[in-house]
Order: sequence, then C-alpha cells, then structure tokens
Amino acid sequence: MSETEFITQLKNQTRASYNKLIDDFQQKVFATCISFVPNREDAEDIAQEVFVEVFNSISNFKGQSRLSTWIYKITTNKCLEFIRKRNTKKRFAFLQSLWGYNFEIDKTNFFTEMSHPGIILENKETSETLFYAINQLPEAQKTVFTLHKVDGKSYQEISEIIEKSVSSVESLMFRAKKNLQRLLENFYKNDN
Amino acid sequence: METNNNIQDKIDLVLNSADTINETHISLFFKDKTMQRLFAESKVESSIWSWFTPQIQLVTLVCVLFFNVYAVREIKTTNYNKSMSSFASDYGLTIESETSLFN
Repeated sequence: MSETEFITQLKNQTRASYNKLIDDFQQKVFATCISFVPNREDAEDIAQEVFVEVFNSISNFKGQSRLSTWIYKITTNKCLEFIRKRNTKKRFAFLQSLWGYNFEIDKTNFFTEMSHPGIILENKETSETLFYAINQLPEAQKTVFTLHKVDGKSYQEISEIIEKSVSSVESLMFRAKKNLQRLLENFYKNDN
Repeated sequence: METNNNIQDKIDLVLNSADTINETHISLFFKDKTMQRLFAESKVESSIWSWFTPQIQLVTLVCVLFFNVYAVREIKTTNYNKSMSSFASDYGLTIESETSLFN
C-alpha cells in the first residue's frame, strides 16, 4: 500500500488503518516522548495524545511532508507543550528560564519525577544532571539537542521536523552544547 | 577545590551520558488503550452534534440575537402606540370621537 492510499484510509478513519499506524509508530513516538520527558507514565500519556491529535487532524494533512515527519512534528510540539505547562506551574523555575543566561541547574524545580527505565543505575546521577541541564536551555536549543543527542535523530530529520535549514540546526546544536558546558561548569564549581 | 581538569571530565561524562541511555519499550497495553480512546471519542462526536459545526453555531447565535432585538423593539413600539391611543380615547382626544356642531 502506498503512503497516499494509507493516508486516505486514515482520513476515512478506518480501524485497520489506525491499527497499522499505531503498530508502525508507537515505539518511535514513545521514544521521542521519553527523550523529552524522562518519566514512563508521562511519556505514554503524551504518546497517546499524539495519536488522538493525528486522528483529529489528519483531514488537515495536505501531504506537504512525509507522514512520519508530520507525526514527529506533532510529537515534539506535544512534548514541549507538556514541559511548558509543568514549568509554568513551577513559577520560580519559569522566571529563571526567562533570564536566559543567568540560569542554574535546579533539581528541585524539574517538571516531572525522574523515572527513565532506560537509564542504568550506574549512570543515574550523570543522566539526571543532563536532563536537569537540558531543561534550562531555551526551547529551540532544547528541541534540537534532545532530538539529536537523546533521541538519535539526524540533522536532516530534525530540520524537517522543526522546519529550519540544516545549517540552522547545526548552529542551534552548537549553541546548546556551549550553554550546557557553561551550565555544568557553574553547577560543578558551586557544588564543591 | 577541584581542578579544572576534574570538572571538565565530569562535564564530558554528563554530556556523553545521553549515549548510554538504553531503548525503552512501550507498555503492551498501549495500543489497546489508544485504539479504545480513538474510536470511543469518534462515536460520541459523530452521533448527535457532528452536523452542528462552529460556523452554524455562530450563524444561529447571530439569528437568535437579531430576532431578540427585533422582538424587543417591536414590543416597545406596540406598547407605546397602545397606551397613547388608550390615553387619547380616555380624554376624548381621538379624531373619531370628536363631535362637531356641524355634524
């Protein structure tokens, strides 16, 4: 079955087409969700929201991009929306993020309870520190860094998802790494 | 105080920790739960109010408001005319009730 035929079936909301869609994408969507939100329950809830959004919005999909890219775009937006909402609740952390470069790693203000089943005990502390630091980055840098380093997507894939050129993605990645370096330096200097 | 080299080693360890995260598998019941949610929602939507789109809702609201305003204005005018004519007839000011010596 070609992608166009598959999309037509999705638009007709047939049970079989959504069966196939979930079979094909559930693991990939969940992997992206848990890369942004390191908590199994939260990530599964967001993944479910993604499929509901696909179901409700497929009639608006005009086929300008591949179906997979469109689904990853929805996934990324849903994850960022979730993080934004949770961070807004933690008012102090939100105010800190507004000040741009004067942010610090604050483990008490992380937006979710850290419970990533893919992190082995030996690396727990370092991985958690990385997630706390990523959460302090500006949204565009956070998106690019997470999609590339944590979720393992290529620059080309990311550029299609966020609708920016590959060179913009590279530049965002460079700035994200630089900011993380600065954040972690401050963290370890103040820690000792 | 730690040396800069030690701090840099720790930072490198943190930055490289993303590569050590193992793949996590989604729960077995995810598909069933999601399918149930998708098709339960669509049933409710399509059964009763699916034809009543936001555009039609807006048009209905505008019509209701228009008829209400029109009705209120009509009622006001009718009452005014009625009370004026009853006042006029009570005090014998109507043209019909006017008596003339020449009739």
